Amino acid sequence: MKLAPVDYVILALYFAFVLGIGWRLRKRISSSGDFLTSGRSVPVWITSLAFIAANLGALELVGMAGSGAKYGIMTAHFYWLGAIPAMLFMGIFMMPFYYGSKARSVPEYLKMRFDEKTRAFNAFSFAIMTIFASGISMYALGLLLRLVLGWSFTVSVLASAAIVLAYTFLGGLTSAIYNEVLQFFLIVMGFAPLAIVSVIKAGGWQGIVSRLPPNMTHAWRYMGSPTDNPMGVEIFGMVAGLGFVLSFGYWCTNFLVVQRAMAADSMSAARRTPLIGTIPKMFLPFVVILPGIAALALSKMNVGYAFPMRAGSPNYDLVLTTLMAKFYPAGMLGVGLTGLMASFMSGMAGNVTAFNTVFTYDIYQSYIRPGAPDRHYLTVGRATTVVGVLLSIGAAYLATLFNNLMDLLQLVFGVVNAPLFATFLLGMFWKRTTAHGAFAGLSIGTAAAILTLSTTVAEGNGGWIAHLHTFPSQMAQNFWIAIIAFTTNFVISIVVSMFTTPRTDKDMEGLVYGLTKVPHDATAKWYERPAPLTVMVVILLLILNIWFR
Amino acid sequence: MDLRVPSGWIFTLLGLILLGMSVFAPETRAALTTENVNLYSGICMLVFGLFLLLLAWRATRSNP
Repeated sequence: MKLAPVDYVILALYFAFVLGIGWRLRKRISSSGDFLTSGRSVPVWITSLAFIAANLGALELVGMAGSGAKYGIMTAHFYWLGAIPAMLFMGIFMMPFYYGSKARSVPEYLKMRFDEKTRAFNAFSFAIMTIFASGISMYALGLLLRLVLGWSFTVSVLASAAIVLAYTFLGGLTSAIYNEVLQFFLIVMGFAPLAIVSVIKAGGWQGIVSRLPPNMTHAWRYMGSPTDNPMGVEIFGMVAGLGFVLSFGYWCTNFLVVQRAMAADSMSAARRTPLIGTIPKMFLPFVVILPGIAALALSKMNVGYAFPMRAGSPNYDLVLTTLMAKFYPAGMLGVGLTGLMASFMSGMAGNVTAFNTVFTYDIYQSYIRPGAPDRHYLTVGRATTVVGVLLSIGAAYLATLFNNLMDLLQLVFGVVNAPLFATFLLGMFWKRTTAHGAFAGLSIGTAAAILTLSTTVAEGNGGWIAHLHTFPSQMAQNFWIAIIAFTTNFVISIVVSMFTTPRTDKDMEGLVYGLTKVPHDATAKWYERPAPLTVMVVILLLILNIWFR
Repeated sequence: MDLRVPSGWIFTLLGLILLGMSVFAPETRAALTTENVNLYSGICMLVFGLFLLLLAWRATRSNP
């Protein structure tokens, strides 16, 4: 792929705008709350788009196009089944507790509802995961730019990290969120044309259907048995593993996304943040997955598109960039590359801002130096932003030393995330859950996840202790680890809670269902109320799933 | 700061750059396209950018 001068101009224009937004917002920062939680002042349309964009990193963008070519339209389940139901649940049922409790972070909510040890468990595992996640995506971006454009790994990693650091350091969470919205627009504008031209070239959706095996163009029909579909999963593993445990575990408890909703300017806006976010989220597969499916069809058509290969097997990571090189002229290529950079930055800024809040409030203020004046925590928050970026760069270089680090970490993320949702579900909806119950459930649930991974094998992964079962695919293994971890946590938390003393109702006001005033917005306009919004989203979602069944 | 202003400006500028490309270098094509991709994308971006600026401008008029 070769860039023309105009492409560099477009890229430079984008850098100028993100830095400019950070610069303009710097005056808004006068307390640690302004810097780390946006002082709860951001309008709802902005938090909704940031909610989606913080999750839409470069790894997701490149990975989703690759998965489109590998698994076909079933990949859309990561959106339709693996995100939207959880986002709706979070907005309707969980946001009243997160926002109403006045907690500044997800670990802090755990501290209010349970006690110090559950918070510490969550805060430390989250902080470490965030650093590695942003390091890995930086590593992937550096590799991609070196391979596709011949840019130096070090220069692209350091330059993109420096820009993210500059605007998050200046304007804190507000700057990260505002830029995420701009980045979201750029991702859509940069990649929607690619989806359109590549699908037209492949003969439209009908042309794609006629060229690919039927299990690539149907989302549901071939899920009866794991051997029938390219993902190697069956319907129960898919719906319970991805659709329930993993997606609710991510969208309802991961502070990276929850933080965006918590920054909203009112309870009503906080609840509507994930609800409104579902609407663009639902249609994102057409921008990020469809080009991958089109690429596979094009490679069978003799039109001059050869599927990217490496050592005799398909190289899915290059699907997106090879399409860009074949379909985008100078000018639009610059916008596409800007979209890729924007996705990287939105993902990284999401990680950095979540990390500095959790570190400052849940680790530093709780365990290192409590009771200092707010000014001090603002300084610590800013310093943590710098340290977080430096640690991410370190993690990126660590990944260059160990080839398999990325695969291993994906497994670790799965293991940590898997049992979490049970803790929140019980904590928010069953007031009898005790602090000891929650902690025992979470620890043993995590142990159960590790044990499952160490005793089962899929595609050569896992099975370090024993080999009790073989899964048809790594995805099936992930889904089942999640199901087992969740169930273990759920059962252990209930059993231990029954034998320990619960807190009094008065202590749990605003934290648990039944002891919290859930706001009723009956006087608001219909599109400002959660229920009609949800009904509309569910109808749209059903139509999409029936269409692509 | 109204976010619609910088977002509107960046897409207006991107739209103008792409339209400029499509007019002054109309033969610029990628390997697999016969369409003038810059022209169509440029029009969409310009319209989107101006729409955001219009919304922001109306908001300042109603509550200055």
